[in-house]
Amino acid sequence: MSQTNPAVEKLRAQFEGAIQAESEFRGETTVTLRPQDLVAVARFLRDDPELRFNHLSNLTAVDWSKYPGHAAKERFSTVYQLLSTRSGQRLTLKVPAPSSDSPIVPSLTGLWPGANWPEREVYDLMGVKFDGHPDLRRILLPFNWPNHPLRKEIPRGGETVPFSMTWEDEEFASFGKQIVEAKAVPQVPPKQADANKHMILNMGPHHPATHGVLRVVVELDGERVVAAYPDLGYLHSGFEKQGESIRYKDFTLYTDRADYVSSMCTNLSYSLAVEKLMGVDIPRRAQVIRVIMAELQRLASHLLWLGTSVLDSAGVSHALLMYCFREREQILDILELVSGARLTTTYIRPGGVWRDVPPSFVERVQDVLDAFPKRIDEYERMVTHNPVWKSRTIGIGKLTQAQALAMSVTGPALRATGLAFDYRKTRPYSGYEAYDFEIPTATDGDLFARYLCRVAEMRQSLRIIEQALKNLPDGPVWTADRKMSLPPRQELDTSMEALIHHFKLNTEGFVPPVGEVYECAESPRGETGFYLVSDGTANPYRLHFRTPSFVNLQATDLMARGGFIADLVLIIGSVDITLGDVDR
Amino acid sequence: MDYIRDFFINFAHSWTTWISGGLPGWAVTVVNFLLGGLILVMMPVIATLALTWMERKVIGRIQNRLGPNRVGPWGIFQAIADAVKMLIKEDIIPDRADRPVFNLAPILIFVGAAMLWAVIPFGRRMIGQDLNIGALYVVAIGSITTVAVLMAGWASNNKFALIGAFRVVAQLLSYEIPMVLSIGVVVLVVGSMRMGTIVESQWVPFCLVLPVAFITYVLAAIAETGRAPFDLLEADSEIVAGYFVEYSGLKFGWFYIAEYGNLMAVSAITTTLFLGGWRGPFAGAAPVLGPLYFIIKTVLVIFVLMWIRGTLPRFRIDQMLAFAWKVLVPAALVNLLWVAAALKLPVPQAVQYAVMLVGNLAILGVTLTLLGQSAKQHAKRHGLAGA
Repeated sequence: MSQTNPAVEKLRAQFEGAIQAESEFRGETTVTLRPQDLVAVARFLRDDPELRFNHLSNLTAVDWSKYPGHAAKERFSTVYQLLSTRSGQRLTLKVPAPSSDSPIVPSLTGLWPGANWPEREVYDLMGVKFDGHPDLRRILLPFNWPNHPLRKEIPRGGETVPFSMTWEDEEFASFGKQIVEAKAVPQVPPKQADANKHMILNMGPHHPATHGVLRVVVELDGERVVAAYPDLGYLHSGFEKQGESIRYKDFTLYTDRADYVSSMCTNLSYSLAVEKLMGVDIPRRAQVIRVIMAELQRLASHLLWLGTSVLDSAGVSHALLMYCFREREQILDILELVSGARLTTTYIRPGGVWRDVPPSFVERVQDVLDAFPKRIDEYERMVTHNPVWKSRTIGIGKLTQAQALAMSVTGPALRATGLAFDYRKTRPYSGYEAYDFEIPTATDGDLFARYLCRVAEMRQSLRIIEQALKNLPDGPVWTADRKMSLPPRQELDTSMEALIHHFKLNTEGFVPPVGEVYECAESPRGETGFYLVSDGTANPYRLHFRTPSFVNLQATDLMARGGFIADLVLIIGSVDITLGDVDR
Repeated sequence: MDYIRDFFINFAHSWTTWISGGLPGWAVTVVNFLLGGLILVMMPVIATLALTWMERKVIGRIQNRLGPNRVGPWGIFQAIADAVKMLIKEDIIPDRADRPVFNLAPILIFVGAAMLWAVIPFGRRMIGQDLNIGALYVVAIGSITTVAVLMAGWASNNKFALIGAFRVVAQLLSYEIPMVLSIGVVVLVVGSMRMGTIVESQWVPFCLVLPVAFITYVLAAIAETGRAPFDLLEADSEIVAGYFVEYSGLKFGWFYIAEYGNLMAVSAITTTLFLGGWRGPFAGAAPVLGPLYFIIKTVLVIFVLMWIRGTLPRFRIDQMLAFAWKVLVPAALVNLLWVAAALKLPVPQAVQYAVMLVGNLAILGVTLTLLGQSAKQHAKRHGLAGA
């Protein structure tokens, strides 16, 4: 160990014997703790005035049972990535769960209420229980699912699907009786449900305002929302399990399918994580192209958000959606130009970008830069000063900064509370430190503040693209590192090693060293991160996908309570979820 | 030439003369009443066919689209294609629905929409029945809609429909008051509830004399027809389709027809009460122009309503009721008071009108100032001054 992390030093001083191990990989420190010390350590890390690891950015678990050289140790361990929003420092905590059969670790929901859903996800997929969790139920899978699928002994595919029904099932007897008491429908948490006074309304899974197959169980007192419980998993497709059985480079195209309206940004976060694991450098030109594509995608995503959000408040007749789609089309055309696809681009890949941009690229992006500022002004004239829009959004769905941090909310929803936290500034990647741009913030944390943030972000994206386009360097777009790049064609004729290397890379794929990394990027929705565990083979040993939609959606209940149904619709819209991103 | 000048009335006379050649007097009356009734009952259907096409085209243009352009030239047969689709759809009645009420609601709502047409003057002497209480009749028939919508929402046994029905009762009852008050102002000025007389006495359109009553009436009319930005009763993004979420096929079609029939009817009533009805240049010399002017004015009002629909977000229920009770009702009441006082002035009518206009403009100014101040206070309370 070259140098010890000051945070670890402080921890050692404060908690004697709590730290079982400490390791460093690719500049990230991982500390292994005893389970009983987790809450105290986390509290210390969060509250210590010097450290202030106030953002729980990721929470997951790993099943080590098939990991080489891990046989005798604890089978499961939970992993926590903490981040200081002030210094941008990250610290990974690892807690081995003591018992192998039904492992239990303490819950962090007391410190970060936002740990609620990630812990439920871990319980659902990995079977690790959390002591002190207020509502430990399955979250993505049906409640009667027979196993915890991310455990290593569970095979991928071939399982009987418990929710497939036959005509003999008793659920069918009650169909059409309107109040379906089907077993597959999870019960509403009985926290405040008072059936005599309140009406339970199921919004979704098929509802125009849930932006996909999201079900929100709303408890209503007249028109007022007493509580709103989102129910997820309708689109769960097991990306993480799938990721363990395919090569690193093949998973890129799964990342497109998760957040399908900002695939470039998800591609980018995944590529960053894999490149960090491999320890390769990306050439300048590829980095600049990545920045341009990510910012174009951010524009497209925010435009879609703006259009649909106004649509939520106005109904299908409102004009703004089509205007936003017109502009978004211009961007999607560019994405199609460079990658051949409009939504599922798979353009940014581990190692660089797929191909160099075509000659007309610069001109097309310049068109966007010329057209957009005026268009955004036009939308602002249409919406920002509209009294109806203002009265619908100002003071609605408020989230304070403390609440947002506690719920692990990231992205525009966090910045609307006044915290200028953006990974592009806090932990710059892909050369973002070289660009001159600002992080737009607002102070109110309500719907209007989020709207203002997003619109301002669109202008900043244009600024970044303009600078990037001006300084687009020449050169290769794929890494020169032979661990990931194919040998040049002419070498194959002369060098046997090059031929073997070429063959291995094409059949087996690149092989990262043993280690684990977490890397994230700022997607239009917030922090999109990947946690990768490598066992030295060409497939990931464990791949966890931290998505902003999933974590941010938790805050819906907090924001919606006390408001009206009409507000709830706008609040769900303002979180800006993509259901592929929520359920994965 | 004289025949052409008042073509519709003369044609009706010729028709009556022609059939009374072979029929007894009472039968002529029956046939004429039946024919007149049929024409008026067909009005909502005609309005639906014409207005769905127009609405799609207008909204399409507002949204930077072309609108329907496949079925027939400029897509004018789109509405007919839709009607055919609606006819051949399955009629679904939810289990545990209150069947008689469920089936009655679409009929009732259509009846309400159709009956409005009886008192609308299309031209001089071109009116279904020139009731001496025409204006009151309009208000009375308009409230049938409330009952029908509540029936539909309740009988569907669907929570979204129920919420929609709740909203309807709150909304329609609240907005009926400013509507009645603004019609009352017109009735006060004219001195008659007869629709024909109201048009006859508008030598200057009342929207120029009574702008507050005009604006109040239009806003209340939008709310009464449940169109954006007051379309909370069927808010598609919140409660899916509101009270008629469970209806399908032709029953859904009746709601659709009633919606557009009502839209056209309230626009026609706006034209009658405030825009001078069939009056226009040369309408006195050539009454055949009257219906033309009437339709042009009505379509203009409808276009404005569509324009509003294409560009404004929706109100929330509490804001909407607050707007009715805190803005429209007080303004309409003050207006009523002012007009009543102005009518007592012992001066020529033109001067009375001028006094009314001054008062109206003052009320409008005060209302807008107060609204702006409250918006500013609201913004300040949330720390958004200048945002």
